[in-house]
Amino acid sequence: MANKKTYPLDHAVDFVIVGSGSAGGILAKELSTAGFDVVVLEQGPYRRASDFKHDELSVVFRDELQGGGVANSGQTFRDDEAKVAIKPRRQPARYAQNVGGASVHFTANFWRFREIDFKERSALGAISGTNFADWPITYDELEPYYTKVDWEIGVSGAPGPNDAPRSKPFPMPPMPVKSSGVLMERGAKKLGLTTQPEPLAILSKPHNGRPACISCGYCMFFGCEVNAKSSTLAAMIPLAEASGHCEIRPDSAVFKIETDKRGRAREVLYLDKDGKERAQKTRAVVLAANGAETPRLLLMSASAQHPDGLANSSGFVGRNLMFNAHSAAQGVFPEPLNDYKGVQVTRIIHDFYESDEKRGFYGGGGLDARPLWSATPILHALEGMPPDVPSWGAAFKDEMAHNFTRQMCIVGSTTSLAMDRNNITLDPSSVDKWGRPAIRVTYRDHPDDLKMAGFLQDQAMNIFDAAGATKTWRYPLQPTNGGEHLLGTCRMGDDPASSVIDRDHRSHDVPNLFICDGSSFVTSGRGQPTMTIMALAFRAADRIKAAAAANNI
Amino acid sequence: MNEAPAQLLLQSCASFLRINIKKVVIMVGTTQHSRRQFLRSVSVVAGVELLQIAAPAIAVAATAARKSGSAFQVLDEDDAADFAAIAARIIPTTDTPGATEAGVIHFIDQAFAGAMQGSRAFAVAEIAEANQKLDGRFADLDAMAQDELLHGIEDGEFFGLLRVMTIFGFFAMSKYGGNKDMVAWKLIGFDGHHGPWQYPFGYYDAEVHGGDYNGE
Ligand SMILES: Cc1cc2nc3c(=O)[nH]c(=O)nc-3n(C[C@H](O)[C@H](O)[C@H](O)COP(=O)(O)OP(=O)(O)OC[C@H]3O[C@@H](n4cnc5c(N)ncnc54)[C@H](O)[C@@H]3O)c2cc1C
Repeated sequence: MANKKTYPLDHAVDFVIVGSGSAGGILAKELSTAGFDVVVLEQGPYRRASDFKHDELSVVFRDELQGGGVANSGQTFRDDEAKVAIKPRRQPARYAQNVGGASVHFTANFWRFREIDFKERSALGAISGTNFADWPITYDELEPYYTKVDWEIGVSGAPGPNDAPRSKPFPMPPMPVKSSGVLMERGAKKLGLTTQPEPLAILSKPHNGRPACISCGYCMFFGCEVNAKSSTLAAMIPLAEASGHCEIRPDSAVFKIETDKRGRAREVLYLDKDGKERAQKTRAVVLAANGAETPRLLLMSASAQHPDGLANSSGFVGRNLMFNAHSAAQGVFPEPLNDYKGVQVTRIIHDFYESDEKRGFYGGGGLDARPLWSATPILHALEGMPPDVPSWGAAFKDEMAHNFTRQMCIVGSTTSLAMDRNNITLDPSSVDKWGRPAIRVTYRDHPDDLKMAGFLQDQAMNIFDAAGATKTWRYPLQPTNGGEHLLGTCRMGDDPASSVIDRDHRSHDVPNLFICDGSSFVTSGRGQPTMTIMALAFRAADRIKAAAAANNI
Repeated sequence: MNEAPAQLLLQSCASFLRINIKKVVIMVGTTQHSRRQFLRSVSVVAGVELLQIAAPAIAVAATAARKSGSAFQVLDEDDAADFAAIAARIIPTTDTPGATEAGVIHFIDQAFAGAMQGSRAFAVAEIAEANQKLDGRFADLDAMAQDELLHGIEDGEFFGLLRVMTIFGFFAMSKYGGNKDMVAWKLIGFDGHHGPWQYPFGYYDAEVHGGDYNGE
């Protein structure tokens, strides 16, 4: 880290990348190591592994990594476009604000899509009231990039019986099974279901100079203090900086992409650490700010030339927000699992991955075994308690103490259908701490997605019974009021009238503006999107490099 | 101050208890859960549906001068005694340590001085109002009377705040003032020193990996 590259503001670099998260970190590494001059503007701070602490109160409840929550973001939520959105207590669109983005504090469950995910609309037909569509690319086109993620980012796992084909084996074995995984497997076997090891963006063996997981148990919501979690902070940013062609500029909150008379992006305006306005000149822009922030920035970049926002001639910027619906069922067993140790998930069931018309509704998903709330004490006490126990007093205390080590959860993760009514817009009155119009989330799950989540919850209850749980419970499913999978809001497509970017991630409207992050998704997949976000980023980098080589940017 | 017997209490703290007298009777001594807890949605999974207490953007360091001789940064001794008593009913001392032994009140004091200072005036006003109706102080009631009173307000914002703060104070890292000697973590079998951990972790994976797990 001796002589870090810096670039002057008024000298046009080859690329400004907005956002350094799952996608942005990869694009930064790929473009800079190919010799392009890259400035990455990241609104959050530059945290190092040594900054990550096992402090549940601060990290989980005071949103330390998420920019301090609604008090700072001003985000608002409503479930219907006819309503006025209000500021909820908990942030509706959740992600870590720091170098590495949400890959820093994610749980690292890491599923590839299957072939069907890219062409499900053709297989199943239209679904009325939705924008259900095929992707313009196929699994086969993305497969080499999934493999690149496996090896360059670092993924542990073992193939499951119905996984999509892979061109190379996993670079390292799965994490050893935990008690939650053993118990789910036990129940599943009795029911004729198949469990498989969970692929994780967490190292089970030292890889690329990074150490193996130490099983501290602080994955979900937390940053990894040993760099065993394969965030872009751990796996990509150091390579980008070592290239000598990349400046990571933290504490830089972008508020506008400025275009010239020809409608080309030419500079990126941001507020620096001291709140001072800055403008970085550039030849091209790569927007990788995530499925909530990318549409906000495009809408904020409206101008006389682009009155409805930049790259928004289709009106699809911000539309089709997809969170992935979820469900949870809890079980308590006679002996201690101590599932708070180690990674969250070690076993999954993908038997319900495909949509099945016999169920009577669209959707598919996966089940996983994990401690969920019972990985940390406060969450366990506030969220992990059964409904038949008082919420305070001696019985509350006893139950909490008895269950903590004996409790586990089976989580169902499912599809979300793309719909106009679910979207990101600019809130008309709320602003964030930088003074930018706040993100307004409008969202109501499609009934089929809730049904699928409920179907998975039913399966989870059956598995618990078969596995010998002494106590099980679930809470009724309700439409969500937020999410951490931020997908679909600048979808990829061949038709400029119904998509924002083309199959190479170039925006249909602005030739030197590329967009690659969760917003690029056409469908949601079954619940763990980030492997696909990262594969898309590697692929996008190749397409961008090819365009540059052909002098076509 | 007077040790009010339960009956007296029910008469004297008229308004807010009267509405709830029926409920108090139903709840005491049963394991009924509050309706609110049951209705709370756990539909969000990765998403934590939490009773999150709005904290000011930047935790301002406690500026209030410590009262000379006071163990607390911002709470006066009487309010502290009442909040400590409420915390002690939420996580009572039984044959194992509770909120008292964990020093939850020091968490509450520290939080009201810092990250949750925005809620302090509200909490102090609420306990003052309750005490006015009691004609005494909550801390001086016996445990049964305290429980009866708390059952009457358990669905309200004040109790919700104290409940969350008690849980925070009990389980958060000791540097926040509570969880003294990690008593809370020991209670639930959460080993406070945070790994690294070796397999097997528990009884069931020990069947696969062999070896002994170290109990709770
Ligand atoms: C608690 C949690 C657990 C999760 N667990 C999983 C999991 O197990 N499996 C899975 O697949 N996914 C998981 N996710 C989701 C996963 O983290 C995201 O899908 C993924 O990181 C999104 O990648 P991205 O590149 O689209 O954006 P991000 O990773 O969110 O990166 C965007 C970056 O851009 C920055 N930025 C945004 N706007 C601006 C601006 N205007 N100026 C400058 N910088 C800006 C942000 O600060 C951020 O750093 C989880 C998420 C959370 C919050």
